[in-house]
Order: sequence, then structure tokens, then C-alpha cells
Amino acid sequence: MAAYTLADPVPGGRSLGEVRVSQPVLMAHAGALSNRLRLLATLNLEGLTIPNGELTPGAWGEGFVDRRHPHTYLHELVLSLDDALGDLDGTARISVAAGKGFAPFGTDDPMVRPPFRYPVNHHLAQILERVVAIVGVRAGPVMLEGGLFNGDEPERPGQWPRVSRFGDSWSGRLTVFPAAAIELQGSYAEVHSPEHRPGSGLDHSKWSLSGRWDGEVQAFPVYGLVEWARTSEAKGFFVFDSFLAEGAWSTGRSRLHYRFERTERPEEERLTPFRSRRPHLENSILGTTRWTIHTVGYGLAALPSGTARAQPFVEVSHGTVRDVGGGLFDARSFYGKSSFWSVSAGVRLSIGMRMHRMGRYAVAQDTAELPEIEQNGDHAH
Amino acid sequence: MATMLIRRGSTALLLFGVAGCSEGNDLQPLIPALIEAFDGDGQSSVVGTSLPHSLRVRVTDAAGNEAPNVAVGWSVVQGSGTITPTSSTTGQDGIASADFTLGPELGEQRAQAALDGVSGSPVVFAATGLVTGPPPPPPPPPSGFQLAVESGGNNVPERFSSDLWVHGTHAYTGTWGTRTGNQGNVLMVWSLDASGAPTLANSVIIAGIRTVSDVEVSGDGQLLVLSGERGGQLGNSGGIYLYGLSDPARPSLLGSASVQSGGVHTVTLSSIGGRLYAFAAKNPGFSGDETENEPALLIYDVTDRAMPTLVHREPIPPRYGIHDTFVRDGLAFVFAWDEGVIIYDVGNGIRGGSPAAPVEVSRLVTSEGNAGSPAVHNGWWFHNPVTSERRYLFIGQEGPAVIGSRASGDIHVVDVSDLANPREVAFFRLNGAGTHNFWMDEARQILYAAYYNGGVVALDVSGTLSGDLGGRLLGQVRPGGAGNTFTWGVQLANGSLYAVDMLSGLWQLTTE
Repeated sequence: MAAYTLADPVPGGRSLGEVRVSQPVLMAHAGALSNRLRLLATLNLEGLTIPNGELTPGAWGEGFVDRRHPHTYLHELVLSLDDALGDLDGTARISVAAGKGFAPFGTDDPMVRPPFRYPVNHHLAQILERVVAIVGVRAGPVMLEGGLFNGDEPERPGQWPRVSRFGDSWSGRLTVFPAAAIELQGSYAEVHSPEHRPGSGLDHSKWSLSGRWDGEVQAFPVYGLVEWARTSEAKGFFVFDSFLAEGAWSTGRSRLHYRFERTERPEEERLTPFRSRRPHLENSILGTTRWTIHTVGYGLAALPSGTARAQPFVEVSHGTVRDVGGGLFDARSFYGKSSFWSVSAGVRLSIGMRMHRMGRYAVAQDTAELPEIEQNGDHAH
Repeated sequence: MATMLIRRGSTALLLFGVAGCSEGNDLQPLIPALIEAFDGDGQSSVVGTSLPHSLRVRVTDAAGNEAPNVAVGWSVVQGSGTITPTSSTTGQDGIASADFTLGPELGEQRAQAALDGVSGSPVVFAATGLVTGPPPPPPPPPSGFQLAVESGGNNVPERFSSDLWVHGTHAYTGTWGTRTGNQGNVLMVWSLDASGAPTLANSVIIAGIRTVSDVEVSGDGQLLVLSGERGGQLGNSGGIYLYGLSDPARPSLLGSASVQSGGVHTVTLSSIGGRLYAFAAKNPGFSGDETENEPALLIYDVTDRAMPTLVHREPIPPRYGIHDTFVRDGLAFVFAWDEGVIIYDVGNGIRGGSPAAPVEVSRLVTSEGNAGSPAVHNGWWFHNPVTSERRYLFIGQEGPAVIGSRASGDIHVVDVSDLANPREVAFFRLNGAGTHNFWMDEARQILYAAYYNGGVVALDVSGTLSGDLGGRLLGQVRPGGAGNTFTWGVQLANGSLYAVDMLSGLWQLTTE
């Protein structure tokens, strides 16, 4: 994906525009034993194309602020065994998976959702780039996943999870499919010291609830997601909430999408305008800001058929940022104003198979196929 | 009866050994093999007076028989007291004694009994010189105690304030982070009038850093040292900076020691063995190699103030690393977050350590309380001149905080009477606030703690400390008022308590 993004303001009160190649992704799937044994891999080359992150007002995580961080090169490499017990578990299916990827928690990675802009709540609503071991069971319309993983998140694209910390964190996700197009999920996670790799950081308790629609409405493909997420740190001393609703509607070669988000973000001390201190020195923040953002976008399928696809797009976001809960951080002073715009224009390119919903392994991998309306990014296999 | 004169080294031992009085009257000379304390150790008395009881040693032979008529030498080894006689002879019970008159020094004084070539020699007796009589029972909490604002405040509106140090007629405060676009790279210099009220007299910009995180002035008032951090393009560098105070209103840069890959969070001065050292807490870094990134206790010899010389680097595990160091009597108490407090001998002698080669004595991880981690941040080793005890180490826990608004973290009390086996015995919690730096009025047995949004807290720490110390709160003041108080540090000087507040600057408080 190549895009030009202009944001106003950025830290310091100025505007900033830049062209970047983001989300360069290679995906591969392999299967054996009647596809019960599956290998899923995703390489992400953002460490090469956006080593200093992608300009995204409000985004934060892994030491980046107001820039969405580059992902690790090996984004997913998960081996899973589906229906591990065969007929022994009756109509239920039990599966296991292990490797590097997403913990079974929350909603889909923003990379595989219609808006180009990453939401502020990325680190509230997903747990990624971990060494994971997952057990899942599906019985009828109900799917339950549980996972163990390492709590530490990476601080740079080439960094590996701390294997020694494997098992210090866990999560569970219950998903219900009441109808073909509807998916409801609730998740809970206990994550040990995600923001301090040696393990002395605060523990996070995380909740996620979401409802997702993926189907047709009056013969038009429609996608919708409503989610609520909360992260509580230090036994509730810090609590960050997020509400997000987004949707996309397609007709012919055109796709419209819209997202509303209201998410709270910790304001950490910054060492540079777009970077916070890593590793941490203490468990203090300067305040909390609440980001309320409307994003609307339009995409046109320029090469709608064949294995190569191109989708020029334009996307506009407008939002406000407010200080909540006290502290030294003063958003208006820091940014020069309390509202912001960002505009992105670019093209999505993809070759080969469609992307999969990231973070869906083993029994959940059946639900990982991504409909065209959500297609985002490029891949090959 | 046999008489034997044995000369060993420079000590003449006249032995009248009467041993083995067998039927055949086969007298054998007694050879002293062991000397040990019998009585008199650990006494207290008013300075300049004799201890209530004589110092006594017992001398025995290899078989454990009392050795009579052995000459034991006595001398004073710490303090300027006297001991009489300087030589005494053991009686039939093998005991020799002497009387120790204390010198004028407050605190510990020592005398010894020596018998060259004998196991256990010398036997050292410790005593304590007191201002008044023997230790009283723990006093009731002072009545009518009140912390109140006297002067100052709201005097650094353009920057956030950090640490302070007061010496003589001047005070010095650091600055922190960025406020309204102004960086915390300034040392504020305050003159104190006859009443102790501060007036901003000068400011010094320290190039290359963005926060002055700690300030201290040497005991002779000639040297100011500060720690700096968040410097460089990546905010990853800093160091220690030494200023001369020949004109206390105009600190002049003498030298510095740059610390890349982390910068320095705090620095503490201590004189050991006639040389002046700076104990610097290096932050964890995030560039360079892993060794450079490692947090560490850096010990500089700053005797030559223009050329601080690194004499030792003690790595501290990166579980947030080291935040502060308290040095007293040749012991360095390193406050190392989740690693707890680590006690090093840096010249005390109990482990043979020195500033160039610290030796760990012990360590302790204090409880998490409600803070989610031990978060061991700072401390003060209490030398109680009233009871002569050096029993308690007060530790500040820096829990989660929204800086400028709310904080958490308790005061933990550790019994270090056995330095090799410290144990936590008490705590103090101020709900809704968290503690930061300390100062102690040792004579009055009052601990003053900066308590961030709680302002300044005074605790009665007399007597035995155990369990929840909530009932020992003597006073509290939020000098800037609600919403304008986030107090970093306190210091007692010139009869006033000074408090530096991140939001509202430097305050003079009264402690009536």
C-alpha cells in the first residue's frame, strides 16, 4: 500500500505530510493431512518501509506515539492441528495451535479491515506479535479459544518475543455465530508487563466485546463492526476504554467506509515528538487523552478481476482530543489545538490469494477467510 | 607455682599459671588462648561521662580454664574518650576490666582490649554518646504539631520543578520535562533572607539535557552536583555536572561526566576515606550495546572536581534499574525498583568493600502494597540520636502515578539492625497519594516525606515501629493547594522545612 498522508496538527502544532509504503505483507498457507495440519505465515516488511512508523494522529504503542508502529518482520507463523481428537469429541472439534502470532483476544487486526487509518485502540483491542499456544473448541455456533503467550510486546521490527516469558500471560475468547453473517465475541486477557520486556512493568487486565456483520444487505456486500474494549493497569489505577464502530458498503467497483472511534490513550513522557521512553523508568504517565475520530473513505477497484488487484482510495479523518482525568499533559498546548484532520490518498495493491483475518488459528481458522469488502493490503503466495 | 614470662611481639605477658593442681603438685603454666568480651558492650551514656559499667574481658587457655594474672592492654579506637587503666591484669576468674569515659562526640565510640597473639584479640566495645541521659521510653507523639506554609510558592510558573538542596543562605532547585515549551534544563538558584524566605536569584542552563533530576551540595558548601537526563537527539543521554559555589549565587561549571545510553536519574555525595565520591544512578538505555544500556550504580571520585573519575560501575538488573542511592557510614543503600534495596559496603568495613570495589551485604524486596510492584525508589537510614539505634531504613515506593494529578506508593520501614538480614516491619499509606523523597529530623524523630499530590507529610518515627503506621501521622500540608500540589522533595535546613513542588515551585514551611 502506497499512500500520502497529511496530518494537521502533529506534535508541536505544525502540519506534516509524507509518502510511505505501508503494510507490505506476504502471506502463505500450507496444509496436510486433509488440511487438518495447517501452517500459516505472514511476513511484514514495515520495518524496512516505515521504520519510524506511519503518521497517524492518536495512534500509540510499542514506544511510538502519533505514529503507528511498524510490525515485526515475522508477523505470523503458526502451525495448527484441527480436529485433533477426530470423532472422539463427537460433534465438537478440538484443535491446537502454536507459533508466533496473535493471542486469542479481541477483534481483527486493523490491517485487514477497510479503513486505511489504524484506530487508536489497536493496543487495547488486539494482542499480537507473541509466542502463542492455543487450544480451541467449536461446538455448533459456539467457539471457545484459550491461549498462553509471553506478555512482552516488541520494541522494534527485528525483535523476537522473550521465549523465557512464555506462559506468563493468558487470554480466552468466546465467539458465537448466531447467524451466518453475525459474529459475537467476548474476550478477557491477563497480560504481564507488556510494555517492559524484562517483566517489571504493570500488568494489564483486558476486556473486549464485539459484534461483527459480514454479509449482504439488499444484495450489497456490507461489513460492520461494533466493539468495546477496556484495559486496566495496576489493579485499576489506570483504566482506558474504547468504543469503535465501523462499516463498509460496496456497490460495483466502489466501496465506502466509515469509522467512529472514541478511545482513551495514556500520555507518556516523550523523548522525541513521536517516541515515548522505552524501556520504562517508572510507572507514571502524564495524563490520559480521549480521542474522538470520524473517518470516511472511498475506494475504487481499478483491477477488479484476476489475481492482481489495485484499489485507489482516499480517506479523511477528523477528530478531537481532550484531556481526561488530570495530569501534566495538556493536549491543546501540545498540539496547538484540540481538533485535527488527516487525509490519506493512495493505492492498495495485491497479488494472489486474498488476505486472511489475522489471529485466527486452529479451529478459528475456518472463520479467517476475508470477504472482498474487507480486503486491504497486498499479498502473494 | 610456676612463673613464666612469655614475650610475643611487643606485648609482655606475665603468667602466673596455676593449673593442673594434681595430687603430685605438678604445676603447669597457663598459656592464654582466647580473649572475649565478658561485659560492658553496647552501653550508652551522656557524652563526657563514664559508662555505667566497666568494660570486662575474660581470658582463658586452650582448655577453657580461666587464665589469671594476664596483662591486658586497653585503648580507645573511636572517639576521643579515655580508658583507665590502659593495662589491667586478669584475676583468678580470668577477667580484666577497665573504665571507659566517653569523649564529647555524639553517637558511636569504641574502645578495645588487646592481647597479642591470642585468639579473639582485639575485643572491641561499642558505646554511644548521648546528648542527654540514657534512652528514654518512646515519647508520645508531639502535641500541637503543625505543618504550615511560611513563604514562597508559585514561583516557577514556566517550568516544572524537580529536586532541591538548601545550603546556608541559598537553595537550588532543578527543573523537569517540558512545560509550556520550556525544557527542564535549568538549575534555579534561590537566595534565602534572614527569615528563610526564598527569592529567585539566578538560573543556570545546563546544555545537553532536558531534566535536572537531582541536586546536592557538599557538606562544606563548595560543590554542587546535579544529575541530568533525557538529553541528546533521542533523549537518551545525560550525566553528572559539578559546579563550584565560591559564589553561591553563581554556580560555575567545574566539570562533568557524560553518561550516554540512559543518562543519570540521581546523584549522591559521600566522603569516604578522606575522598569525595558521587554515587550516580544510571538509567536503562535503549541504544548502543546491551552493556551500555544496562542500568548501573556509577561511582565517581570527585575529589578533583574538574575531573570526575569513574572508579566503579555496578550493574543493576534492568527491572527498571536503580533510582536512588543513600550513603552513610560507608554503606550504600541502592534503591533498585523491583530488585528492592541492595546494601553495599563501600567503606564501612563489614565486608571489606570500598568505593572502587563495593561488596554486597544484603538485599530485600519490600512488599507491593497496592502499587502493583515493589517500586523501590528512595530511602533514608535513620540514625536515632535519642536511642542510639541505627535500626530503621525508610523506603519510598513510587507507585503508578498520573504526574501532576494523583499518585500511589507507601513508605516501607525495614529493620536493618542486622544489616545482613534486613526485614520489613512497618508501612505507612496515605490513601490517594504516593510518596517520593524524604528528609528526616533525626533529633526530633520525625520523618518528612514529599507525597506528590498529598503534599508534605510528617510522621512520628520514635520508638519501635511495627505494622501500620497510620496513627503516627503528625501533619500534612498541600503547599500549593488542591490541584496545584505535586511535591517532589523536602529538606530541613536553617530551622525551616523547604519543599519543592513540581507544579508550584519552592516553598518554605514551618514545623511547629
